[in-house]
Amino acid sequence: MIVSMRARGGDLMETVDVCVIGSGAGGAVAAAELAAGGRSVVVLEQGHHWTAKDFVQREDVMLPRLFEEGGMRATTDGAIRIIQGRCIGGSTVHNLCYCFRTPDPILAFWRDQYGLTELTPDALAPSFARVEQTLHVTQIREDEVNTLNRLIRAGAEKLGYSGFVTKHNRRGCVQAGYCLLGCSYNAKQSMLVTYVPRADAAGARIYANVQVERIEADHGRVRRVLGRVAGDDGSTHGAVEVRAKVVVLAAGAVASPDILLRSKLGNDDGQVGRNLHLHPAVVATGFFDDEVHAYRGIPQSYYIDEFIDLEHDPHSGYVLMPIIEFPAMTAASTPGFGKSHAALMRAYARSGGLLVLLHDRTAGRVRSGDALAKPRIAYELEPRDAAQMAEGLVHCAEVLFAAGARRVLIPYLPEPLLLERDADLTVIARRGARHGSLTSTAVHPQSTCRMGRDAKTSVVNAWGECHTTEGLFVADMSVFPTSIGVPPQITTAMFADRTAHYILDNWARLGA
Amino acid sequence: MRETRVGTGLALSRRVFLQRAAFTASLLTMARVPAAARDALGATAAPAASALSAAERELLTQVVERLVDAGDPAAPAVRATGAIAAIERLLAQVDASVRADLPLALRLFDWGPMLFDLRWARFTELDDGGKDRAIRGWMQSRFAFRRLVFDALRNLAFVGYYSQDATWPLLGYKGPLVGGGNVS
Repeated sequence: MIVSMRARGGDLMETVDVCVIGSGAGGAVAAAELAAGGRSVVVLEQGHHWTAKDFVQREDVMLPRLFEEGGMRATTDGAIRIIQGRCIGGSTVHNLCYCFRTPDPILAFWRDQYGLTELTPDALAPSFARVEQTLHVTQIREDEVNTLNRLIRAGAEKLGYSGFVTKHNRRGCVQAGYCLLGCSYNAKQSMLVTYVPRADAAGARIYANVQVERIEADHGRVRRVLGRVAGDDGSTHGAVEVRAKVVVLAAGAVASPDILLRSKLGNDDGQVGRNLHLHPAVVATGFFDDEVHAYRGIPQSYYIDEFIDLEHDPHSGYVLMPIIEFPAMTAASTPGFGKSHAALMRAYARSGGLLVLLHDRTAGRVRSGDALAKPRIAYELEPRDAAQMAEGLVHCAEVLFAAGARRVLIPYLPEPLLLERDADLTVIARRGARHGSLTSTAVHPQSTCRMGRDAKTSVVNAWGECHTTEGLFVADMSVFPTSIGVPPQITTAMFADRTAHYILDNWARLGA
Repeated sequence: MRETRVGTGLALSRRVFLQRAAFTASLLTMARVPAAARDALGATAAPAASALSAAERELLTQVVERLVDAGDPAAPAVRATGAIAAIERLLAQVDASVRADLPLALRLFDWGPMLFDLRWARFTELDDGGKDRAIRGWMQSRFAFRRLVFDALRNLAFVGYYSQDATWPLLGYKGPLVGGGNVS
């Protein structure tokens, strides 16, 4: 049962075994596994329940529908735009389907540095396998690689850089290219078409338009979740109370710590909201002689991993990924205004981007804001990360030129740097990449309720259970002890699967 | 204390004026005006009372015209695309406190040349070159709040304008592959 509370109206009062907050890569998996395991489950989702018929492939319609703050959430200083989902299915509805398991060196680092001895590849394999099967993770075929990705691949190979065509969660993809605005064809195997229906079929009751205000505990045990039915304009349409023996918080690495902070739970040692990593990204745009129409076809299928070596340094490095945005987002992301900006927009069909995604060491912080759903996000890129970003942009330009680009744009603020094919690329390194000096975006906020054995330096244990509150679990990207260094969808789902099975296996304690 | 009369009937000291401006800029940025909109633009016409007076609408139009100016008569004119109406529909969905501050931000923008550039003319009284210099002053300002106001208005302008189907042919963008769909 999936209920739009705004349409239904009125209050909501439920008493269940488990209340799951959020329906994205963590919440949907947890809800489906728990419901299939025989527990009564309620899911509370802040966003709407949109389906394929609503995904009309227009930015003006889809940005407000699918994204937190309409796709324009940002760090408090405005320096980094943060893209997060806000709908049934969460960020999996708009993501671009990269599927990676957690790299072994990252798991080893987490075991060594955070005492998470349980996190071995063998121990996690069953959860990975379940998730990958449910999401239909498969290798992208050569004939599915679109024009931009083919060009980038040719450029990388010309330079001898390591890269590969990745695995994705798609089934029956028609290669329209509008993945970022929701799949109109139900081909993307997002939570919306996989785990959410499974949870529904297993008896979970899923409520959209519910904004959680706080979680309450009594004598160290979680008791209930309180919230409201929220209108788009911030109005309240009803009260929500869910009494539960277990609460699984999976609202994402910005909202989850916000809810914990508002609830005054899990923060005895001040760790909630700290250690925010973002995987900040900057896009270099190449302008080609011929039309690329990079927005057609699978947007991201190739992946350059030449500049990250987690075996030797699990804490730094960066990867390069092809990218294109649609016109309005491209216009907003391109620095400048007037004739020079319009001239760049005129070249839209001949352009394609290559982004640097930073495996960041910088630690930011999420604090509760004055209003619900508008937390304050502080993050200032450290100089060593900024230096890596600048280095990455040099390599982006190299690859784009090797791919045939005539000009490359580096999005410096307030006005971009345009490089011709014979340009000396060290100009980028000399100019550098200070915090706020480039148009930057982040799509992977993580680590704000991190996992660890030591309660003084972490929020949850190896199974996602809050150190301070029995029955309160976190199951989203918040739990990553450090930046993960790869797209996080599969790791998030894996942790949620593992947490759900831990709850089922320990119901004698948790359900008492 | 020196006072500045802003728009119609709003008298502010310079200090309070700048404080309010910074506050407005922060609100605009935190709320990410273009984004906080709900199903508001283009094909989704969410009817709502306008947040702007006729004078403010004209000011916004002139700002958008300079921000998206292509210097090419073939480019769709802002006034012909429905971009401003789209922005107004968008604003109608923004949190009321933020919407209430947009007129102040616009007035600040109008009086910016006098306040910051020591020019004895408002933005709307400048020729195109003067307007562009004024905008550049906001964009390149060393004051963060001025850059934030610029970013907010720029985002509004670009999202409003480039979401219009009429602008797509010049970009070579072929548009959505699905027809119709649920846009209500």
